[in-house]
Amino acid sequence: MKPGLRIYLIAGTPSLASQMEIRLQSKGHQVFTLEGFCNLIGFAYNDPPDLFILDISAGDEVTFSIIRELKRDSYFSVVPIIGLMSESMARSFDWTETPLDDFIFLPVSYPELFTRIDLSVQRIRRVFDNNALTRLPGNTSIQHAVERVIGKPMAICHVDINHFKPYNDVYGFSHGDEVLRMLARIIFNSVKESGGGFTGHIGGDDFVFIVPIERAEQVSQEIIRNFTAIIADLFGEQEKTCGYYIGYNRRGQKEQIPLLGLAIGIVHGNNPNIRHYGKVAEVAAELKAFAKKSESSCYVVDKRTSPARTAKVEE
Amino acid sequence: MGDKRQEILSIIKDTRSLPILPGIITKLNALAQNSKSSIQEMARLVSSDQVLSARVLRLVNSPSYGFYRVSTISNAMILLGIDVVKCLALSTSIFEIMEQNIMGLWEHSLGTGVAANVIACRLKLAETEEISTAGLLHDIGKVIIKLKFQDDYDQLLKLVEERDIYYNKAELELLGIDHSDVGGWLANSWYLPEKLVEPIMYHHDVSKAKNHQVKTAVVHLADVLVKASGFGFSGDDLVPQIQPLAWQRLNLNEQFLAELVEEIEDRLIDAKNFSMELQEGNETRT
Repeated sequence: MKPGLRIYLIAGTPSLASQMEIRLQSKGHQVFTLEGFCNLIGFAYNDPPDLFILDISAGDEVTFSIIRELKRDSYFSVVPIIGLMSESMARSFDWTETPLDDFIFLPVSYPELFTRIDLSVQRIRRVFDNNALTRLPGNTSIQHAVERVIGKPMAICHVDINHFKPYNDVYGFSHGDEVLRMLARIIFNSVKESGGGFTGHIGGDDFVFIVPIERAEQVSQEIIRNFTAIIADLFGEQEKTCGYYIGYNRRGQKEQIPLLGLAIGIVHGNNPNIRHYGKVAEVAAELKAFAKKSESSCYVVDKRTSPARTAKVEE
Repeated sequence: MGDKRQEILSIIKDTRSLPILPGIITKLNALAQNSKSSIQEMARLVSSDQVLSARVLRLVNSPSYGFYRVSTISNAMILLGIDVVKCLALSTSIFEIMEQNIMGLWEHSLGTGVAANVIACRLKLAETEEISTAGLLHDIGKVIIKLKFQDDYDQLLKLVEERDIYYNKAELELLGIDHSDVGGWLANSWYLPEKLVEPIMYHHDVSKAKNHQVKTAVVHLADVLVKASGFGFSGDDLVPQIQPLAWQRLNLNEQFLAELVEEIEDRLIDAKNFSMELQEGNETRT
């Protein structure tokens, strides 16, 4: 049985409230019934639920403004609100004005309510975890994906871009965003075309991909090769010849900024020293720092089980 | 005349796709079914067809992907991925009938791409792949005119033959617009980068190129040399002069040109073999 959700419920009548409580508890959910909308936000902040079920059939402006305020806080943007409403109300309902995530008609059909609860929660997780810029799965999915492969012969590979911040400062964030979108496609396609795996976007210029150990180096080489080819479209001839462009550092002094490159740290999931997600991230960070010492794009494989680590550099 | 021009331009705006050669589809199918086919193999095949190349570049530069300036087929393939390109190619319509002049135009485009590549390499220019792509796409406007204005196209060929005039002169007389304008418009409306748009738009008048004068001059020269070699059929059999400005911009001399022609002739033999292969494939299909 799935673990239950913590649900805040506001129902139009006491009898509906008690009926819904019983039905929801029978599915293993914890239900907190509130008298009305006035205390909703206070309760929500003090003890955030996993889901709201709110009867808005009375449809007064105060109710709507409370829902708006709740959804304006980004923390609650990932907590679904299911509205209870009449069919006639739904016909002319302004979804932009009142940002509900789903609705259910009164009188409540319980099989439908249970299904909509499951779907709302799954959908919001799916949508919210994906990075808005690259549409790749984000932190929660990455953590799950990594946890699934700990102890298995899989490689967890962290990618980040060398000299990305100055590029963003000099060329503007829209070009920076373009580079991130390009890298996302490059990693995603390379992983997929090598035979499949997982690709996620931690945020900023940090990405993760997971493939079987025997494919990790080949995929890393492919990503570096393709990124190098794509970068050629982003810089002018002079910059490509010199290998740098001119920018200004924080003190306003001119400096030569190297072209973009990649650093990839490859961690083996079946390394006995690695037992949890935090350790993977820690080792990967060390490896990337090591990879970043290189002039050009490169990947570094964790060889903790043997004394030496190897750094491979791709020209 | 102005009305015709407007009509053509509004049709370009609505052009979602152009058909490609059946032979290309057959080859792509074979590659698509082989799980081991690589990006490089696919890119080589896509780069042999001016229409498919234009479609791949259109997709990768479309606003939904959020890339601004992808100008080479191989980079477009890296970003789109093999699966997307396979779907794109297999959902493309194909020319119903393999007419001689469509095949001729395809050969002329392929040849110009090859020649542009040779010129760019010999002159040690940067961005040789972009220059080859611009050469490949330079006559894309002719494909639209043939496709959307079949009657005018037939008249064009007749006019060229009867009066022995250049194809683009006949276009201007009949349509009030020529294929380089049409191609430039198409490339612009498909968000292709300027480095491809300018050579397409000005390959018959290099003086109009603004930011990509050298690339435009190379494509112009490639077009002339391929016509002179007799490879393919671009719509007329006349060989235009190399414009003095192109000569100047590329810093040409007779000796260099002679070596260039020799190397291009060699490379066109390979292109001819590929073309024969495609046509044989088509015959077995029908």
